[in-house]
Amino acid sequence: MAPHVILSREDGEGSPGERGEILRFAQDDTAAVTLIDSPVANTANIARALLAAGASLVVTADPLAVARASKLVLPGVGSFAAAMRWLRESRIDAAMRGALARGASLLGICVGHQLLFDASSEMGSTPGLGLLRGEVRKLEGSLPVPQIGWNRVRFNGAPLFRGIADGTPFYFVHSYAASGVASEVAAASYGAPFTAAVQQDRVFGVQFHPEKSSNAGLQVLRNFVAWR
Amino acid sequence: MEVIAALDLLGNEAVRLTRGDFATARSYGEPEAVLDALHVPDGARLHVVDLAGSRDGRPISTDVVRRLARRDLRVQVGGGIRSVADARCWMSCGASQVVVGTLAADAPQTLRAIVDDLGPSRVIAAVDVRHGVVRVEGWSRSSGISIEEVLTSIAEMDIEEVLITDITRDGVLRGPSFALYRSLRIPLRVIASGGVSTLGDVVSLARIPRVGACVIGKALLDGRFTLAEAAARAKTPDAIPERIIPCLDVRDGRVVKGVRFDGIRDAGDPVECARRYEAEGADELTILDISATDSGRATALETVRRVAEAIFIPLTVGGGVRSVDDFRALLRAGADRVAFNTAAVRDPGLIAACAREFGVQAVVLSCDAKDGRVMVRAGKEETGLSAVDWCARAEELGAGEVLLTSVDRDGTRDGFDIELLRAVSGRVRIGVIASGGAGRLDDFRDAIESGGARAVLAASLFHDRLLTVSDVKRHLAAEGIPVR
Repeated sequence: MAPHVILSREDGEGSPGERGEILRFAQDDTAAVTLIDSPVANTANIARALLAAGASLVVTADPLAVARASKLVLPGVGSFAAAMRWLRESRIDAAMRGALARGASLLGICVGHQLLFDASSEMGSTPGLGLLRGEVRKLEGSLPVPQIGWNRVRFNGAPLFRGIADGTPFYFVHSYAASGVASEVAAASYGAPFTAAVQQDRVFGVQFHPEKSSNAGLQVLRNFVAWR
Repeated sequence: MEVIAALDLLGNEAVRLTRGDFATARSYGEPEAVLDALHVPDGARLHVVDLAGSRDGRPISTDVVRRLARRDLRVQVGGGIRSVADARCWMSCGASQVVVGTLAADAPQTLRAIVDDLGPSRVIAAVDVRHGVVRVEGWSRSSGISIEEVLTSIAEMDIEEVLITDITRDGVLRGPSFALYRSLRIPLRVIASGGVSTLGDVVSLARIPRVGACVIGKALLDGRFTLAEAAARAKTPDAIPERIIPCLDVRDGRVVKGVRFDGIRDAGDPVECARRYEAEGADELTILDISATDSGRATALETVRRVAEAIFIPLTVGGGVRSVDDFRALLRAGADRVAFNTAAVRDPGLIAACAREFGVQAVVLSCDAKDGRVMVRAGKEETGLSAVDWCARAEELGAGEVLLTSVDRDGTRDGFDIELLRAVSGRVRIGVIASGGAGRLDDFRDAIESGGARAVLAASLFHDRLLTVSDVKRHLAAEGIPVR
């Protein structure tokens, strides 16, 4: 299976090209980001935001393309179990591990971030990718779940938040979250504190939606794109 | 902000009066059983009012207070304290503080004597206000003295806390007197009392710096929310920024705007508007497709696609959504959430079906209300459904938020329908977006503070550049309401 969409930064204005269309791909481009085209994700919105953040973009569900990527973005919305099942069945999970072993960096977004952990308590307990220690649990407290809306994020100098003021709100839509994990670099509170972002070496994750968080969200993506 | 549960005693029973009128007394039963049901945490304060004492001018329910004070609670007692002896009587019953009302206005020298006897930290001054004038003797008599005068003399006695009740608001679930509390300029810790009926009220009070505590009675006794929930919300009132949402009513690929759902005129290009609003700090954008034809729908879908590609904030789209397929088409075009009104009224199962298929977060119930009743077909057809009941039902079915529009106020700039907002936001747990009537900056504050809205939507005000999104956010921030 060939990569679906490849766009260079120069082609970044406007919408991603048709599936199967290859516009340009530069192997040595540090801004080259491979966006995993999960069917359980809002891929188009994230693609647009990555382009706006200066990425050269490959959007693909091809394990070979994922395995040779140097920068991966794993999006996801909805069910943890459905997203995990697709990763396994498409052999993307093994491809991601291969890329990481070769020194690639990875950014998980929303459910994509949750998938990085050992497990989720959604529907009993569903194993995740296990790249980070910890478990994702249902949000607790008196506030309505899912959390839908902006919430202030606290971070202390994490590279992912470079250029953003501490306490800046980001846009969240979720019912589950990790909390107090060792890899936590940013936290927010919704009734109780939860993990808003993680980083462990080259593995990053954000519980919020950077593609819906206006300038602050684009800055997070810019920071990931520029990360080396 | 501290949240204090209140128990009003009449003889040996826990009761509530409405607007301080003894004829309205309603019993909740045996005080200790009522207290058990409230789950007051160990060590917390309990506010007890001896109503008969307040009426008769001497301590009456002393046995009940003695029993309550044996628990691990700090009991503050008020009602009928007219002398040092009365105050000592309550302290001997185990009270940790006395709440002294009438004297503050009537006989300041006696209040002074109580403070000297017990020490200022054991005395809370209570002031009952009606239209800015202090009431005395169980609210039955006007003192003729203004609240400012009374508070000034209280502050001079080194008293630290003052409990202020606006009796026009007490026990009627209309909401606290936020304006009164905000207007106070005194070096006293204010305990707000009266009118707290929703968790939104608790949050709004906690945002007023002068208010250090609030007393809640009826709402807890009626089980509208729990003390633990109120305490949790009072602790972090600024955690979640409130949202400002410009709305684009779109027809034939153009933004248009009408008054009371009628009298349409052009208001610009959707993509230009959307970009401008995001730059001004809009937290979200709503597009309502008001075209009525099939070709109009196709155009609207294209408009949604163009706008979605131009912005990096959430986009909600509504108007003419009739089926799960329509819903899906809009999500595919780039909407994050989809709102429906008429189709959901006709087939409530559609809410559940879309929540299952796309998630609760994607489903917005758009409710157009006139005189508290639901209207469909763009405000043209009455349904007879109660707006409050319908919104509650929609929440059960899986709506993630309610976009509540007052048909009467739409486009009038007369202010939001606060009563409608309170009624719905007090009933549902999901967020309520206030819509219809935005005119002045304070309208936005009132919709959130008094109406309990979690977001405020406006259209013509922004299109006509009478206000910008940043103007509104600056104003809200100055009023203590957190914004992004």
